[in-house]
Amino acid sequence: MAADDIPLDDKAKRMRDLLSSFYAPDPSTASNTSSKYVSLDAINTTSFDADQYMNLLAQKSNLEGLLQRHVEMAAEIKNLDTDLQMLVYENYNKFISATETIKRMKNNIVGMEANMEQLLKKILSVQSRSDGVNTSLFEKREHIEKLHRTRNLLRKVQFIYDLPTRLGKCIKSEAYADAVRFYTGAMPIFEAYGDSSFQDCKRASEEAMSIIIKNLQEKVCLDSESVQVRAEAVVLLKQLNFQVDSLKAKLLETLEKYLITLQLNSRAISTTSLDSDEPSKQGSSSDALPGTAHEASTREFVEAVRAYRLIFPDSEDQLNKLAQDLVTKHFESTQQQIRKQISSSDLLVILRVIWTDVLLMEEVLPDAALSDFSLEAAHVAVKQYVASTFSNLLLNVSDALTKVQTKQKEGAGEEYPLQVSLEGSKKAVIQGSMAILLDFRQLLDDNLGLLVKLRDFIIDWVQEGFQDFFGSLNDQFLSLSGKNHSISEHQGLTEGTQGEKFLAGLVLVLAQLSVFIEQSAIPRITEEIAASFSGGGVRGYENGPAFVPGEICRIFRSAGEKFLHLYINMRTQKISVLLRKRFTTPNWVKHKEPREVHMFVDLFLQELEAIRTEVKQILPQGLHRKHHRTDSNGSTTSSRSNPLRDDKITRSNTQRARSQLLESHLAKLFKQKMEIFTKVEYTQESVVTTVVKLCLKSLHEFVRLQTFNRSGLQQIQLDIQFLRVPLKEIVEDEAAIDFLLDEVIVSAAERCLDPIPLEPPILDKLIQAKLAKTKEQTAVSS
Amino acid sequence: MQGGSSGIGYGLKYQARCIADVKADTDHTSFITGTLSLKEENEVHLIRLSSGGTELICEGLFSHPNEIWDLASCPYDQRIFSTVFSSGESYGAAVWQIPELYGQLNSPQLERIAVLDAHACKIKCILWWPSGRHDKLVSIDDENLFLWSLDSSRKAAQVISKESAGMLHYLSGGAWDPHDVNAVASTCEWSIQFWDLRTMKKTNSIEHAHVRNVDYDTKKKHILVTAEDESGICIWDLRMPKVPIKELPGHTHWTWTVKCNPEYGLILSAGTDSSVNLWLASTSSDDDLTSESSPIESPTRRVDPLLNSYSDYEDSVYGLAWSSREPSIFASLSYDGRVVVESVKPYLSKK
Repeated sequence: MAADDIPLDDKAKRMRDLLSSFYAPDPSTASNTSSKYVSLDAINTTSFDADQYMNLLAQKSNLEGLLQRHVEMAAEIKNLDTDLQMLVYENYNKFISATETIKRMKNNIVGMEANMEQLLKKILSVQSRSDGVNTSLFEKREHIEKLHRTRNLLRKVQFIYDLPTRLGKCIKSEAYADAVRFYTGAMPIFEAYGDSSFQDCKRASEEAMSIIIKNLQEKVCLDSESVQVRAEAVVLLKQLNFQVDSLKAKLLETLEKYLITLQLNSRAISTTSLDSDEPSKQGSSSDALPGTAHEASTREFVEAVRAYRLIFPDSEDQLNKLAQDLVTKHFESTQQQIRKQISSSDLLVILRVIWTDVLLMEEVLPDAALSDFSLEAAHVAVKQYVASTFSNLLLNVSDALTKVQTKQKEGAGEEYPLQVSLEGSKKAVIQGSMAILLDFRQLLDDNLGLLVKLRDFIIDWVQEGFQDFFGSLNDQFLSLSGKNHSISEHQGLTEGTQGEKFLAGLVLVLAQLSVFIEQSAIPRITEEIAASFSGGGVRGYENGPAFVPGEICRIFRSAGEKFLHLYINMRTQKISVLLRKRFTTPNWVKHKEPREVHMFVDLFLQELEAIRTEVKQILPQGLHRKHHRTDSNGSTTSSRSNPLRDDKITRSNTQRARSQLLESHLAKLFKQKMEIFTKVEYTQESVVTTVVKLCLKSLHEFVRLQTFNRSGLQQIQLDIQFLRVPLKEIVEDEAAIDFLLDEVIVSAAERCLDPIPLEPPILDKLIQAKLAKTKEQTAVSS
Repeated sequence: MQGGSSGIGYGLKYQARCIADVKADTDHTSFITGTLSLKEENEVHLIRLSSGGTELICEGLFSHPNEIWDLASCPYDQRIFSTVFSSGESYGAAVWQIPELYGQLNSPQLERIAVLDAHACKIKCILWWPSGRHDKLVSIDDENLFLWSLDSSRKAAQVISKESAGMLHYLSGGAWDPHDVNAVASTCEWSIQFWDLRTMKKTNSIEHAHVRNVDYDTKKKHILVTAEDESGICIWDLRMPKVPIKELPGHTHWTWTVKCNPEYGLILSAGTDSSVNLWLASTSSDDDLTSESSPIESPTRRVDPLLNSYSDYEDSVYGLAWSSREPSIFASLSYDGRVVVESVKPYLSKK
């Protein structure tokens, strides 16, 4: 069995391996596994060890199993054998059929070669026949062609000879288009042979053509011809290689002439519209008439432009430029008008005329972007208008301020020059601003397309304008007052001492005007702006509104205070010079006995009186005016001026005087510190009081710098005593004045080598004498 | 030392106008002051700030023969000082030395080193050579300017040179330029004049009315500060003498005196409105221009130059002195004879 098995097994195994290598997806893996795991199933591998297999089988299986295995194996072998036979047989079958097919093909091919040869022969014969026909017909055909060409040529020659007459006919019938067509057709021949054979003919036709060209030119230039005809004529001329540019230029020139007349027209409008303000001329009707006339002429111009554009379709650029020129010129003249300070209604008239022009032209020339162009120009013009209006306002205000001053210099004295100046400038500010606002409102309310688009800008400009106006007004004030160094520095180089000539009164006017602007002008303008100039917003919201009333109020409040202080300073300075002279010139140590009240007192009171008249004109009265002293005329008051003090002075020996000084010292110690320098208010009394206080303080300080003898002290005592009554008359803070006057006397006593005050009777007598003298003087002068 | 009115006080017996810093005393912060009394016996007080800075101690009290109108301490010897004095109608000026043993004696006599007796008019002030040991003095009277050479060992002073300011110029005071020792500024009624001490000629002048007091900025060259009656305080750049580079409002009445701080950019002014004002002296002219020309942006940026106003005085303040030893301390003297020493430290941080 084993012997039987082995050869069969060997063969079968080879077969199987071959088969498995053919069919198995991965023979290597199969062989690998079999080598590693020797099992009963691993019979179908390359590394199959038959002996081992047998041993294993013999060891593991029982007899029955072995037998069964044997049967199985035998059946398997048989199956494989049949499979093999089947495969071989099938392959053989296929091979046989293939050989048969090849054999059949061989048989079929044999007869083909003869057929092909026959075909070739036939084709060759056809070719030879056709060649024969060709050669036989060739000569005749060439002849026919030659004849044909000659005929054509003859026809052309005929045409050319006929050309002049034909052209003449065309001229007669005005069929210029045909004529041009003929001529252009004949052109190449003329070019080729014109100098030799067809010379006459060419000349004749050229003559005809020149007539045609002339006619065409006339036609083009003739306005009476219809536009289409003219356009056609131009096209024809162009076809004739005629230089149309000169024609074009000519036409353009006529258009430009139009433009100039239009320009003149617009000027006429503006002048007449200006004249119409003066009723002496044609009256209100003149306003409308030139407008319509102008519109008609513009229409004409537009028609001309339209025609031109049709005639010369490629000339838009020039036309655009022309139209833009027109608009520019319009706006130039507008700006000139603006420079002449026209009112907004006049500006409106002008703008309206321009805008209608623009709209008309826009229809014809949509590419010129005229509306945008004019919008830009209007932007500039209106801005300029706003700016110039504000600068005029500024000029008016400063004029109102300075007019009085110059008038005063000339000597035309009015009774209340400062009041007039104040009222005038107040009026200039408020009415000027209101008029401006009204003007601008007119601009805003108008529904002219141009202005509607500019509305936001106008609002912004007006707001900015006011802001700038008040800023520069403040600067103007400062320069008027001579306070602004940066300005006075520049002017100082050219005008020298110009800054010093201004009046103190003007400063006071400026102070009150600043208050007026802050308190009433700004609120009113703000209201007005809020009512009709809100919006805008082109500036962008982050910048806030252009007009900031709060800020302007603040500026003017501080300016007002500054001016008030400046006024007080200027006034005090003047008096201070007086006092300085009084106290530095005499030798106080060798002063003579007082005979009368010193004249500096008169000067001092005069200055105060001048201040009072100025102040009265400008500033309001204080609310709590002190009780007016009705019994304050002359002797009675001065004699009983201060009972306590009189009482003190009566004790007239040296010792007493000294103790009295000590007393006053002690009194001073216990008295509350006097607040001398209080805030200045915008009232007559407050200003005067401040000036008086400052002057008395200066007096006090001057006294402290001197050393007096007895007479010197007495002189000062006398002067101060005299001053007491009139000063109290005009100030509101009597206590402070009393205090300061006392201080002066105390200081004088302190600085006195021999402090013995004047006896009251003598004091009284001297004051009486002085009063009598002044009374006399006033009587004489009046 | 906080708040506005917490200065340290010291009372003189009589009225007084002048106080000066004792610059040569490097160990203590001391001031010297003299009284102005027509009839009583006048005194010179040497005051020292106690080491704790809480008290003013009288270091010396000396009687002075006449009322003192001007007083200046010698910059190199703490015991020497000069006075301008008057008795009734006569004026005089002298240099004094404090006697050695002043600790024990109550009211010892001052030793007179030299009498500056060449003056014929009312003497206004005496200026010491600004720093260092130079025995030169300048004295100014109504009409003349004198340069003196002081010989303290021989107790004599000699006039080196003299120049008249001109008939119509009434000189009122002056200052010695700390940057240029040959330059002295003098004030008169209508102008400030500048003198070169080598030639004794006028080199320059600023036309400006009513200047009361003048002081050089010790830190910045060419910067001069003036005080006047009406327009307050002006800061000038001497290279541009036409227009002041800055104006400060000053006081409600006259601004009597100004003093530049030797260390910080501060200006102190005293006035007849019984107050002392402390100003921030930013002298950059751009700053001034922008604040003038653009009021729109100013409210936030414009710093009030007035740092503080010390108003706790009973009378006009005439005397003012910064301490050169402690530059944050100043002494003020009001007419009623009250010395107040204050510190400006609280305002230094605000700069």
